[in-house]
Amino acid sequence: MVALSAAEVRFIQGGIAHDLRSDGRGRYHFRPFSIQSGVIPQANGSGRCKLGATDVIASVKAELGRPPAGRPKHGSLVISVECSPTAAPEFEGRGGEDLSLELQRALERSLLGGPSGAGAAIDLSSLHLLEGKVCWVLYIDTLVLSSDGNLLDALSIAIKAALNNTGIPKVEVLASTSADEDPELDVDNEESSPLDISRVPITITLTKVGRHYIVDATAEEESQMTAAVSVAVNRKGIVSGLTKRGGIGLDPSILADMISVARHVSQTLIPSVDAEIAASESRAAGS
Amino acid sequence: MRGLQFELESGQQRRVSKAQERLKDAAGSVHAAAFVNVGDTIQVDHEAGFLRGHGTQVVNGELLATVCGIVERVNKLVSVRPLRAKYNPETGDVVVGRITEVAPKRWKVDVNCRQDAQLMLSAVNLPGGIQRRRTAVDELNMRSLYEENDIISAEVQSLYQDGSLHLHTRSLKYGKLENGQLVTVAPYLIKRLKQHFHHLKQYGVDLILGCNGYVWIAAPSESGKSSVSETPMDLSNDHGSEMSSKRSTTLIPSAQEDGKRDLSDDDKVRDSITRELRERICRLANAVRVLAALGLLIFVESIIDTYEVSLSWDTAVKDMLAAEFCIKIVEREAEHRDKKELAI
Repeated sequence: MVALSAAEVRFIQGGIAHDLRSDGRGRYHFRPFSIQSGVIPQANGSGRCKLGATDVIASVKAELGRPPAGRPKHGSLVISVECSPTAAPEFEGRGGEDLSLELQRALERSLLGGPSGAGAAIDLSSLHLLEGKVCWVLYIDTLVLSSDGNLLDALSIAIKAALNNTGIPKVEVLASTSADEDPELDVDNEESSPLDISRVPITITLTKVGRHYIVDATAEEESQMTAAVSVAVNRKGIVSGLTKRGGIGLDPSILADMISVARHVSQTLIPSVDAEIAASESRAAGS
Repeated sequence: MRGLQFELESGQQRRVSKAQERLKDAAGSVHAAAFVNVGDTIQVDHEAGFLRGHGTQVVNGELLATVCGIVERVNKLVSVRPLRAKYNPETGDVVVGRITEVAPKRWKVDVNCRQDAQLMLSAVNLPGGIQRRRTAVDELNMRSLYEENDIISAEVQSLYQDGSLHLHTRSLKYGKLENGQLVTVAPYLIKRLKQHFHHLKQYGVDLILGCNGYVWIAAPSESGKSSVSETPMDLSNDHGSEMSSKRSTTLIPSAQEDGKRDLSDDDKVRDSITRELRERICRLANAVRVLAALGLLIFVESIIDTYEVSLSWDTAVKDMLAAEFCIKIVEREAEHRDKKELAI
């Protein structure tokens, strides 16, 4: 846990009030971040995001599975988050489980879409193989290696980079099958096709400290938060998920203002994330 | 110690490698042969005999290094000085620490060392400024002096055989630190110099370079070094009556009068440090962070130099932590060392 003296707390709050935080950022500035693609060669896709001192890795494994009930022409996504004990001493043993679960739920809310499959991060029908029998299930596993605040945003950026890096193997269905037989499939490991990630949202967390909200809080600033609202926004400015943390209540008008601030920040953030992902892909391809 | 990490574009990568090459050949760098890794054999004259010092071990009749570092020889004593080590305290070091615990008659202070240091109640200046015996009432009121998580500056008084460290704040320049921010760097980057307290007049900012790697950058303490309260509250006369606003009577230099401070009032918090001063503090803090991330030595001149250079390049404060600025600093350092070599 971050230990701060009363004087340091006052300094941080004063800085936020003046729109000049401890590292010189304004309230709505993100820390410099870097993305690496293809860091896990055994996975179908992977990405690592370093946001300041926060470091997270996401990997995507594509497995064959059954389509969800009621949606025979869709694939599915399964998200899991693990907080490694290397990230912070309090994550040792089972200490990180609560936080992992909370982050997982928040990511599921923004990436999985509704019960009909609409609004999911990627078009689930692109994962379809055999109606009602076989589909692709994408297991998105994430690992928090180092924690300095704003884990949710870093995770969403890493997931987007991993999905961009993912290649779905080409599958050929051999031999026509009857309804009760398991179909035979030929999975081609050489050829793979990419996913359409234009709709993958990025989460922007607004942390309320005193009267003001800040974007991309460090661990020190997060320890002073009263409430935090994470808004998942996609490239078109559409909000696809909303999560509120913290025990202090928020006036609904403040909530509406926070959402508009998040959408405003996303207009500059999402293009820079996309550019960074593209750059990391070309670096990975070049090396 | 968290460093800055970036993915560099190919052009930036080339510039960094070029600068690193120049730094390797520049003046001031130690010859590669003086370095040893863990397990390397150290050349010793077995006939003449030698004394085995720290960082070495005799294995199968050979003297091996147990740490990565530089071999030091003093007469017959052979030791290896590690390049990166935890802070090794010496008596008289100025350190910045954070109070972790209030224990009977002492405070435990985190000084980025192997163990927490101890600050005895008898080693601090009591409010009232008079020298007297510490009574039981003083012991009960320790929190009115320093509480948990407070940041203080102190001097190392003594080291004990078991490695425990004792501090003291028996001078008016030591004490609780306020109105600033703490930057943590690796302790080996801070040289031991005559002065560790710096008041940068040109910026109006106080800078304390703790030998343990904790650097404190703050607005100057208004009350100055000899802050004396008008009515010193003599604790020994209180007889356990209700303690009220003890902080305002302490002699510990602090920039604020607690009676006037109201935490819930945003405007008062805002007015204590102006935005211009805050910007200078943040720029200095970022200069320290950049120097630490690049592994360059941290002392006043290098910090001021980085600060001035960031101003001359019109770098925004927040952009100092981005890749481009760091690369330019590396290139500048390479040029600087080349020039020194030519001058010699």
